[in-house]
Amino acid sequence: MTFPFGDIPVYALLIASVAVAILSLLPKDLYKAVIVGGGIEGLSLAVLYQRLLAADVSITQAILASALLPALMFIAVYKTSRWET
Amino acid sequence: MSLVNIQVASFIGSVSLILIGLVAILFIDNLIKKVLGMMFLTDGVNLFLVTLGFRLDVPGGAIVPIFTEAFYKAENASMGVAAREFADKAGFCLPYALVLTNIVIGAATTAVVLGLIIKMYQKHKSLNASEVLGEVIQRG
Repeated sequence: MTFPFGDIPVYALLIASVAVAILSLLPKDLYKAVIVGGGIEGLSLAVLYQRLLAADVSITQAILASALLPALMFIAVYKTSRWET
Repeated sequence: MSLVNIQVASFIGSVSLILIGLVAILFIDNLIKKVLGMMFLTDGVNLFLVTLGFRLDVPGGAIVPIFTEAFYKAENASMGVAAREFADKAGFCLPYALVLTNIVIGAATTAVVLGLIIKMYQKHKSLNASEVLGEVIQRG
């Protein structure tokens, strides 16, 4: 599969996934942390897997990171406390 | 081949994710953020393994390891030639299969850990690991 603009979007997604992983550990609101860390980081990795020729891994990662893991962590935060103390 | 290509960049990214996950697990007190760190650790290891299967030495770019009819429908191509061409071009697909298993197992592990955290919060009324452990130690 060829990407537009060469490999530049892939590098951008790689940097974005690492930056988002750091940013998700900072906020006191756990909902924000869960959306940023559980969802966006995994989705950018899914596109990266597609470029690294692993199409099946990419599809699985996209499903899990976009729906299942954020939903699970949302339920966990909803059942416990929202704010980090 | 330039010094920084996508494989080297992915190695650096995977090592960064593993380090971020370790720091989150070891130094952050909140249990939900510890689970986030565990997910980052899993993602870093998965990215490392997928990067191992990527090939840069194929001229024109390697292909996704799926054997389609385009290989044996070319002119005067026997099945052996088609298989050899596929093996020359396709990425190394063993890490992909292992990583696919690892992703699903990681999701299941995360679900179990989150369930344990909910039960722990119902008992101790806190999400901080130090408070929960301190209460357990005080009770003996």
